[in-house]
Amino acid sequence: MAKTSLLRNKTLIVGCGRLGSSIANKESLAGKNVLVVDKNPSAFELLSDRFSGYTFSGDVTDLALLEEASIGSTKEIIIATGDDNVNIFIAHVASQIYSVPNIYVRLDDPSLEILLRGLVNVHPIFPFELSIDKFKLLRGGNR
Amino acid sequence: MKIVIAGGDHAADYIIKNFNKRTNKLIIINPDKEIVKTLTKNHRIPVFYGDPYKKEILETANVKGCDLFIALGYKDTDNFVACQLAKKVFNAKKCICIVSNPKNVEIFRTLGVDSVISSTYLLASSVVNESSLENLAKSMSFDNDKIVMTEIVVKDNYAISNKMIMEINFPKTGTISCIYRKPSVIIPNGKTLIRPGDSMYIVSAVKDQKDIISFIRTEKY
Repeated sequence: MAKTSLLRNKTLIVGCGRLGSSIANKESLAGKNVLVVDKNPSAFELLSDRFSGYTFSGDVTDLALLEEASIGSTKEIIIATGDDNVNIFIAHVASQIYSVPNIYVRLDDPSLEILLRGLVNVHPIFPFELSIDKFKLLRGGNR
Repeated sequence: MKIVIAGGDHAADYIIKNFNKRTNKLIIINPDKEIVKTLTKNHRIPVFYGDPYKKEILETANVKGCDLFIALGYKDTDNFVACQLAKKVFNAKKCICIVSNPKNVEIFRTLGVDSVISSTYLLASSVVNESSLENLAKSMSFDNDKIVMTEIVVKDNYAISNKMIMEINFPKTGTISCIYRKPSVIIPNGKTLIRPGDSMYIVSAVKDQKDIISFIRTEKY
């Protein structure tokens, strides 16, 4: 673990699903230091062969694991587990306890945005709203 | 009081039984169909079926402005979000939630949940409490461990025994709220005599507890 704590300029990704893993692959290919955590070790199969970052598996809502993944010194965190409630909790922890400078969090339910208001450095991403926008754009172009 | 009970099975059942009085308005929300059935049958009150961490469900159940919101779900993060919603969106006056990971007690409090209960955490602190029984000091804390009530039994060899309270120069950081001398409870004043065998109940801030205990335990020269 001594090695990872030396990596100051790194990206922490919580949840290795389709979004998490593809960001991890891209960032790693671009030469960035990437750490990925997921509760399920088989989720790391989504990482490409050229991924050269670190992986941690365990309960992502347990602060011990996040600390092992050095959340306290990370430059940015991308929170993309499949559970909105877990994502919101980790966003609160990252912002209020560890003061992570850049926090990106994916939420399926747009009505939960209100729970992130007032938190510093938190940027929510709503796939639902993005799809609606894209739909409007596409249909608008066809008419 | 308007009380919302969100999730839980046996815990929900027990709390409903205790609070189901005319003076209370209970709102019960549960995500499990079987539990909804049982609760409705046992207590003859309406139960909302749905996830208590969803805004629409809380809206339908009309939890707005409730006095107490109790989250009893299985997942800590679900309870956290339910409490946050209750507080931020529906102006709940007080939120209580249970957690299964005892480490979350401190974290949830830091993040703004009023009261967090973990059975493991309680078990651990009661083990500590029982083991300090030998030292004849028991304590109980209030308001997120800021205020503490200490129970100490006075022994014959203590400097304060057989003295009046006005004589002992009791630390200003604590108050002797009552003294239990079988079979009666005494509300002390300066002239109350402290006798060996008395149980003293002292209220203080947690940080001053140690000093007060060592003051009381000071032995006679």
